[in-house]
Amino acid sequence: MPLTFAKIDQTVLDTLRPAPKSYWLVVLLVFAGLLAGAACWAYQILTGLGVAGMNNPVHWGTYLINFVFWVGIAHSGTLISAILHLFRAGWRNPIARAAETMTVFAVCTAGLFPFIHLGRVWMVYYMLPFPNQRTLWPNFQSPLVFDVVAISTYLIVSSLFWYTGMLPDLAIIRDRAEGMRKKIFTVLSLGWTGEHEQWRHYVRIYLFFAALATPLVISVHSVVSWDFALGVVPGWHTTIFAPYFVAGAIHSGLAMVLTLMIPLRKIFHYEEIITVRVLEQVAKTIIFTGLIVAYAYGTEFFIAWYSHNTVEIEVFLWRAAGHYSVGFWIMVTCNTVAPLLFFFKKIRTSIKWLFVISIVVNIGMWFERFVIIVTSVGRDFLPHAWGVYAPTLVEFGIMIGSFCLFFFLYLLFVKHLPSVSMTEMKETLEKGGSHGG
Amino acid sequence: MADDRYLMGLFLEENGAVDAVGALGESSFRIEKVFSPVPSHRLAEALKIKKSWVGLFTLLGGVFGFFAGFLLAIFTASRWDLIVSGKPVVSLIPFLIVGFEFTILFAVFGNIMGFLFLTDLPRSDWRRHYDERLSGRYYGVLATCPADREQELAALLERQGADVRRMDRDDPPERAAARPEQAHP
Repeated sequence: MPLTFAKIDQTVLDTLRPAPKSYWLVVLLVFAGLLAGAACWAYQILTGLGVAGMNNPVHWGTYLINFVFWVGIAHSGTLISAILHLFRAGWRNPIARAAETMTVFAVCTAGLFPFIHLGRVWMVYYMLPFPNQRTLWPNFQSPLVFDVVAISTYLIVSSLFWYTGMLPDLAIIRDRAEGMRKKIFTVLSLGWTGEHEQWRHYVRIYLFFAALATPLVISVHSVVSWDFALGVVPGWHTTIFAPYFVAGAIHSGLAMVLTLMIPLRKIFHYEEIITVRVLEQVAKTIIFTGLIVAYAYGTEFFIAWYSHNTVEIEVFLWRAAGHYSVGFWIMVTCNTVAPLLFFFKKIRTSIKWLFVISIVVNIGMWFERFVIIVTSVGRDFLPHAWGVYAPTLVEFGIMIGSFCLFFFLYLLFVKHLPSVSMTEMKETLEKGGSHGG
Repeated sequence: MADDRYLMGLFLEENGAVDAVGALGESSFRIEKVFSPVPSHRLAEALKIKKSWVGLFTLLGGVFGFFAGFLLAIFTASRWDLIVSGKPVVSLIPFLIVGFEFTILFAVFGNIMGFLFLTDLPRSDWRRHYDERLSGRYYGVLATCPADREQELAALLERQGADVRRMDRDDPPERAAARPEQAHP
């Protein structure tokens, strides 16, 4: 049966039916992981930051690694919803909502790590610009303060973009819900009716949202990269960092889109909406971002060699052959070699391969952040101050908690809000001809 | 007018709604509203709708944001004349980043505020002259006429292939229609 307006509505609305016990069991499991992470953080707050493995010379450990990892994950949501919207790439429509949601939850998760890294989290208000008895203000020349501004802006903008895009869909649910659910969706849909005056302004603001989110998404990860690049640390202090980080962020985010979309497609019977062709397009984009990332890895080594800077050369040789060489080669293999398999049509159209490679890239991208952060500060200018770092159980607990937080929010979302944009799917159908009711 | 009648023509296809808008435009009946499940360029053309000027709000928000971010950074830096990292107290390039982020943030605020203002959202009277089928797959054309020309308007809409429904002024949705899919299989 071909896709129709009614079928799109029905398929998506079916996902919002009361969940089976197995769903709640998974939610409970993930929530338990989240609580374990929260307990680790509480333990760190009560005991002190010393419970983490960070010490001289590696003061930035898994907290910052996870921060960069989650900010990276957040990027492809905006890429798919905003940049591909501007390019009128129709294949984005089935996955745009799920990707936008991923962005919002990933930014929320990322946003926790600076707080965790802070140790004395109650001192966070020092970052806020308000008149106070200390007569102190944040230093807006610092890349760390740029980061606060950029990440907060990104969280607010991506949340508003996500919610605005959902308005017509919320009205669809409202019109088919009953009882308390109807009341909730009545409030959430703000009285949307789909009249021409509403569409007239809606289409325009959506376009502006996309146009504003596009430079924002590039600026945010550039700002994150400057947290490193503006420090005079070998391995960090390079001009390539901003585009390198943006490409890496999109690479990891696209991989996470596949990791999330493939089970979602299977569980919610989205096969006709999220077609293999859509997943294939994501895979093709991953080849592209993977090649950019590979180029960046190569450039870093080339510049270190070409500069004749012995400290820079030492850091990069140590990355490839030193204490963390396993992490380095995991990074290279997972991020640059594994995506090349997508050149084969048979692999990029196989759901199993797509899922496996997406997870491989996710692992690789986590290691990329590990390698960038740890190996640079671990092998600084002063040989007598060189050192290594290993995360402690508390850090692992918090990391697992962060993954559980992300999946907990995502699981709640997919059963309570439309995980595919019904309206955008209908638009795709409308452009392709009659929708047949 | 108090004794005006409101008739809604419901169409399964965009073509029908576009034709109805054209036919109503040539008649003396008034088009009150047109509904669609997706944005429709053809309906916008038929209604001769001008481009939204919501962008003005976005622009104003962006301009305000740029100066707000820039001035906030300058103000806070000038509270202490302390040179940090050898940069001047008022460092324009780093402050440009703050200005840029604030530009985007406030442009988005302007965008949203403009949208809410121009569409009159959120609103509580959305049920008035609304049929729940419209959010699913139907296009709707709501037209008004004097009470004595109701049949004429209904006939015009039916000629374009509409399923015509009379919308009373304060028609609550519960009474207005049965469950959408049951009423129109």
